[in-house]
Amino acid sequence: MSFLNKLGIGVGAGAGAGSNREVPRAIGGTGRPRTNSSPPVGAVGATRAPELRESNRVSNGLKEFLWNLDGLGRGALLDLGPAWQTTLSFFIERGFRVSSEDILRAWKEFLVEEEGKLREAAGRAAQHNLDVTPAARAARFLEANLQYPNSSFDAVLLWDLLDYLEPLVSKQIVANLTDLLRPGGVVFAMFHSKKPEGFQRYRVVDSTTLQVISSPVLCPAQRVYQNREIQDLFGRYRTMKSFVGRDQLRESLFIK
Amino acid sequence: MWKKEDGKSQGVPENAAGISTGSPAAAGSPARESSTGLPVSSRASACLSQGIRIKGEVTGSEDLFIDGHFEGKVNLSNGSLTVGPNGEVKADIFAREVIVRGRVDGKIVGREKIQLWSTGNVAGDLQTERLVIEDGAVLRGRVEIETGKPIDKHAEARGAAAGTSKGGVVSVNSGSAAD
Repeated sequence: MSFLNKLGIGVGAGAGAGSNREVPRAIGGTGRPRTNSSPPVGAVGATRAPELRESNRVSNGLKEFLWNLDGLGRGALLDLGPAWQTTLSFFIERGFRVSSEDILRAWKEFLVEEEGKLREAAGRAAQHNLDVTPAARAARFLEANLQYPNSSFDAVLLWDLLDYLEPLVSKQIVANLTDLLRPGGVVFAMFHSKKPEGFQRYRVVDSTTLQVISSPVLCPAQRVYQNREIQDLFGRYRTMKSFVGRDQLRESLFIK
Repeated sequence: MWKKEDGKSQGVPENAAGISTGSPAAAGSPARESSTGLPVSSRASACLSQGIRIKGEVTGSEDLFIDGHFEGKVNLSNGSLTVGPNGEVKADIFAREVIVRGRVDGKIVGREKIQLWSTGNVAGDLQTERLVIEDGAVLRGRVEIETGKPIDKHAEARGAAAGTSKGGVVSVNSGSAAD
């Protein structure tokens, strides 16, 4: 069995973030939004992902995150989730320069690519020289991702992606993010207190509300971090604050 | 026996290079169908169709539709560029409007507007006045919105409406307070 299957990620498994066809108004624009009732012409006949379930949750973590960024002016934000229009609009309207990089999608693509290399080597009956240890894989993944100059961001939206990455990759990502953040920079992360049953993605609705979107599984949950482990992971940060919700989701802020 | 179709298939350019220049009448005609069944372009007067690979630089002021592979540079000062669902573009793009339904690897400057459709995948920075991102689109890069409008810090987020809260936050623990 391949390591990809061991992780529960078969080639072709899951359908990514999918789409629920809602297209909000343009960022910075005044045009009329497209809605479900008037889909884009080009969507006719296109394969559509199943409708995704959405719900809203009050987020004290987000509120605190924004409070910490208040008065920053034109800050730089790194969003490591999917590029949602609402989230980008929210921060751009507040003067942020936003960079977007969907790390979980990149991780899945990376695993599929690695699987392909191994299969190719097996097909040629040749011995591959790919180091498949978790440490080597983490290093290879980060050679192609999170490539920004040091101290280039004031804030990072990490969401709950650490729960879905291999522990060594998570550790390395946190270390890299610490370098990417300016002193005083803030990370907003989420951790599941128990293994999540489904797969969710999040987008900002307003300054106190997140929209939780149930999505097809992109990556299965890897581990549940305990409080002490979270503190160790973010040991280089001077401040940590957490909010635990009734839905077993811990929202955490880390200030460098 | 099988009835032979006319030699020319819809949406396929007439010349070998894969770039066809349509007549003004054609440009105003309804959307044509590509081999995938998706409309190719309703207005584009030039088309680089699926299966065609080109390296180089494209300049002009008309609309362009790319559903093949293109590598180089695209500069459509007053036109719009549509990258079709099968399109793969490795280029810095400068145009009045850019619509991405395929893959783009490079910086995109859409003077008036950039649209990323749900099948769109962009690795590169975006610079525009207006940006539309459909759910499912993939973006890896920085977004710069150029607008003369003042920033409304208290504006409500658009798109999604706030409903009833499900995950009420009940307690604060661990670590020192942020203040």
